[in-house]
Amino acid sequence: MKMVNLTIDGKTVTVPEGTLIVNAAKKVGIDIPVFCYHPKMEPVGMCRMCLVEIGRPVIDRTTGQVVREDDGSPKMQFGPKLETACTTPVSEGMVVLGTSEKAKAGRQDIIEFLLTSHPLDCPICDKGGECPLQNLTMEFGPGESRYLYDEKMHLAKHVPLGELIYLDRERCIQCGRCVRFQDQVVDDPVIGFFQRGRSLEIVTYSEPGFDSVFSGNTTDICPVGALTTTDFRFKARPWELRSAASICTQCPVGCNIAFNTRREAVSGGKWVIKRVMPRQNEWVNEIWMCDKGRFGYHYSKSAERLTQPLVRRQGELAPATWEEALSFVAERFQQAGDGLFSIAGGRLSNEDLYNQGKLTDSLGGKKVLYGTMGGGDLTAQSGLVPGSNFSDMGKETAILVVASDLHEEAPIWWLRVKQAAERGAQLIVANPRPTRLDAYATHLVRYPYGSEAGALLAMVNTLSAKRPDLPEAVANLVRSPELKAAAKAFAEAENAVILYGSEGTGLETSTALAQSCQNLLLATGHIGRINNGLVAVWQRVNDQGAWELGWRPVANLPEAMQAARALYVAAADPAGDDPAYLAEGRLGSQEQAFLVVQDLFLTATARLADVVLPVQAWTEREGSYTSGERRVQRFYPVVPELADSYADFSVAGQIGKRLGLDMEIRLAGRTFARLASETPAFTGLSYARLAEVVEQWPIVGRGDLYYGGTTYENSQGIGVQLPLTSAGGLSWPKLVEVGMPKIGLLAVPITRLYDHGSTLLPSSMLHQRIPEPYVVLNDQDAERLKISEGAAIQLIPAEGGSWLGVRAIARLRSDVPERIVLVPRSFGLPVAGPTVVSVRLAERVLA
Amino acid sequence: MFAEKYSDEIQAILSKYPPEQRRAAVMPLIYLAQREQMYVTKQAMVEIAEILGISSTDVASIVGFYTLYYDKVGSTYRVQVCTDLPCALRGAEQFLEGLCNNLGIRVGETTPDGAVMVEAVMCLAACDKAPMFQVQSGDGLSYHENQTVESAASLVAELRRKAQSKRRDGHGR
Repeated sequence: MKMVNLTIDGKTVTVPEGTLIVNAAKKVGIDIPVFCYHPKMEPVGMCRMCLVEIGRPVIDRTTGQVVREDDGSPKMQFGPKLETACTTPVSEGMVVLGTSEKAKAGRQDIIEFLLTSHPLDCPICDKGGECPLQNLTMEFGPGESRYLYDEKMHLAKHVPLGELIYLDRERCIQCGRCVRFQDQVVDDPVIGFFQRGRSLEIVTYSEPGFDSVFSGNTTDICPVGALTTTDFRFKARPWELRSAASICTQCPVGCNIAFNTRREAVSGGKWVIKRVMPRQNEWVNEIWMCDKGRFGYHYSKSAERLTQPLVRRQGELAPATWEEALSFVAERFQQAGDGLFSIAGGRLSNEDLYNQGKLTDSLGGKKVLYGTMGGGDLTAQSGLVPGSNFSDMGKETAILVVASDLHEEAPIWWLRVKQAAERGAQLIVANPRPTRLDAYATHLVRYPYGSEAGALLAMVNTLSAKRPDLPEAVANLVRSPELKAAAKAFAEAENAVILYGSEGTGLETSTALAQSCQNLLLATGHIGRINNGLVAVWQRVNDQGAWELGWRPVANLPEAMQAARALYVAAADPAGDDPAYLAEGRLGSQEQAFLVVQDLFLTATARLADVVLPVQAWTEREGSYTSGERRVQRFYPVVPELADSYADFSVAGQIGKRLGLDMEIRLAGRTFARLASETPAFTGLSYARLAEVVEQWPIVGRGDLYYGGTTYENSQGIGVQLPLTSAGGLSWPKLVEVGMPKIGLLAVPITRLYDHGSTLLPSSMLHQRIPEPYVVLNDQDAERLKISEGAAIQLIPAEGGSWLGVRAIARLRSDVPERIVLVPRSFGLPVAGPTVVSVRLAERVLA
Repeated sequence: MFAEKYSDEIQAILSKYPPEQRRAAVMPLIYLAQREQMYVTKQAMVEIAEILGISSTDVASIVGFYTLYYDKVGSTYRVQVCTDLPCALRGAEQFLEGLCNNLGIRVGETTPDGAVMVEAVMCLAACDKAPMFQVQSGDGLSYHENQTVESAASLVAELRRKAQSKRRDGHGR
């Protein structure tokens, strides 16, 4: 890369050719103020705030040499006007003056101009205190306005752009950051400019308003108080807030976030969370986060939270002391011995899973991860190695996304994969139906639902001499030119990554898919190098961590549970997810198994329990999660713990202590140390290691004038990516033939971002975005079955069982394959994998 | 509604652009959508967005940016008098005032029958023939140069008659 030397305000800088002046200045600690420029977006030069004087050496046209002054210094030619530092790239010998009288006067004029129609209502503005317009006005403003106050424009101050984001038209300085972010960065051009000049306003015409799952980010990068969230609007002043570092728990990306808290009279003197902001981690979420993470945290402070242990007495759950509850549980677990059956959900931290696992293992019990995705052992063998980063992927990389609607399953990964494709990466999207990622794909592969593993093996088939038998459903895919081209592009790329999700898969099909993915990576040599490997788009934040710690899902949970003498269910709600557990009395009958439920809420499963143990939310304690990219990241206490409450790891530890086990019950850090000493992949890790940070670019989050947004700087840890455990070998998966049924339809589960999960529903502000329970049918099928859009339907599983109590609204789409019913997870219909069903409308059976 | 009613015209417009750049047809499609009622309904914006594969906000942005597109109900005819400097030197301002007095409305207002609105606009590129104005209707634009208040008033009277008969025929206002 060619380097260029220049001088900025007397400091010599050497930067790569093509660098913009504003960035070159920042590299040596000089802030050139900006409004419209944002380091994550293309420059536009709209606001003129970054005006500087630029001198360039005079070149003699005849000789091509720099003309020198008498004293030998190069003769400089300064432009007649100020130039924008945000759009001008550096050039050799350039001299930039950002603090000259001329440049200062220019800035003062721009500020004065911007303020002519700005209300200066800082005392009531949510941005006040962290506002670059306020800061720059103090720094460069004229002090006194020449503009007549009465002639100020007065515009609407409470314009809802949808129910999540509000616009204050007076405060808007028309920098276009929000519009450009929605258009260029996340490709949801749902807000736009309307009118021109002083009449310009930001509008949305989408339904619902500002229909984008990334909308909250615009409030971060808005350099004034024009855009605010419903969550934080008028709730607190920025300088009253404390911040605590955390990790978002809504998906496996593990976005780094910061909670802002305040101790306030309106909440009875308690510390309360006022807002969630992204925290910079250029390897994970850069400076962004999605709205589910930003607004979905309210469950942690829900009034429905459990506050004390409950023990069943005379058939009723009644409050008990911790001592009573824990001793009772310990006694019964001791009796159960190897009949202890532990079920843990992927929203537990590494420490929780370690302690619960330790307890279970010590008694010889069985550990089961609650979920329907397989392959976590394979991602540990063939995952991304340390140093991998989606931001570094471009032309030399192929990314295969299979069986995933990534925009719904993990929005930030969708964004980063999309951006890699825009930088030139080969993007292969393999999914049975169109998704939002298709628009950026270089190769599209369609396969029938249930044949995802077969489709991947067909790709291997076209590349290598190994010819595993393919199921009939995908036999013809081998001849598909799209699939061949995709396989070729994947094989020829220097680096290649596969993300597999759970679109339409259950545990069996998902496990086969993961193995097929690993085969493709092995066959093409894309394992063990930076920016190569397998990533699972898990359904929960710490599913990968659970796999690392030896937790595995089982194919048939009800059957596996049968031999259990005691059930220990933490952060999972099988009875709530599948009413069959209730109907068939599989849980909670004393004679079958002693049931302990450890949760935040009194879930359907908890209602059946013999003992219910409340726990702390992740905002009240410390811990760590392992992301889908196998990055282990710490989260910190945000608000004080509730009185007499414990974290999951401590509850498990206290049960263990009563059984005479040596277990940590107080400190998450010490629990992690034990975990690291016993788990090969975690060797050498400690909380101190996880808390290490490095300088990140672009620099955001400090109170500087080169304004990247209110994203928090990362000073609490960027986390550590786990190394691969072993290379893994080529092993051909047992393919599950999921053919189309002769009669009826095939129901397949899909994932929705805004779902009915217990960690989302308590956020009432999102309710307008969370649909009623629904299923999606092919429109032709629907016509045949005489089901119209919006009709209430019921699904009847062909293999028996009864979901008759569950109704859903039918939605009709032409891009859903024929005889397929898409069933969103967590909306009440317990479709755990491809399931043959018939559809019933009102009282009639139709198919 | 719009897409159905004008499907032939829409196809004719789309055929002028390469399929992968069909968004380029946004301006003529908005123009078409405005033809009947002299404003673009929100429904029409949604349909145009769907036809072109862009967001309805993008379509609205274009409606908002250009002064000859409207997103609200207005008059059947818009009389747009140029009052830029060269026209002003040739008496455009007095002409505009005279015309408005004659019609009993102020600049920017519509005649009580909803037929004609008179507004002042920026350069129409006919400085040497001022006072001049253009008349915008669903049918397009027509130029009227070297005008007097009398000639303009009689034209407006004719427009109001036309608007009335249009309304009788069941076309928009």
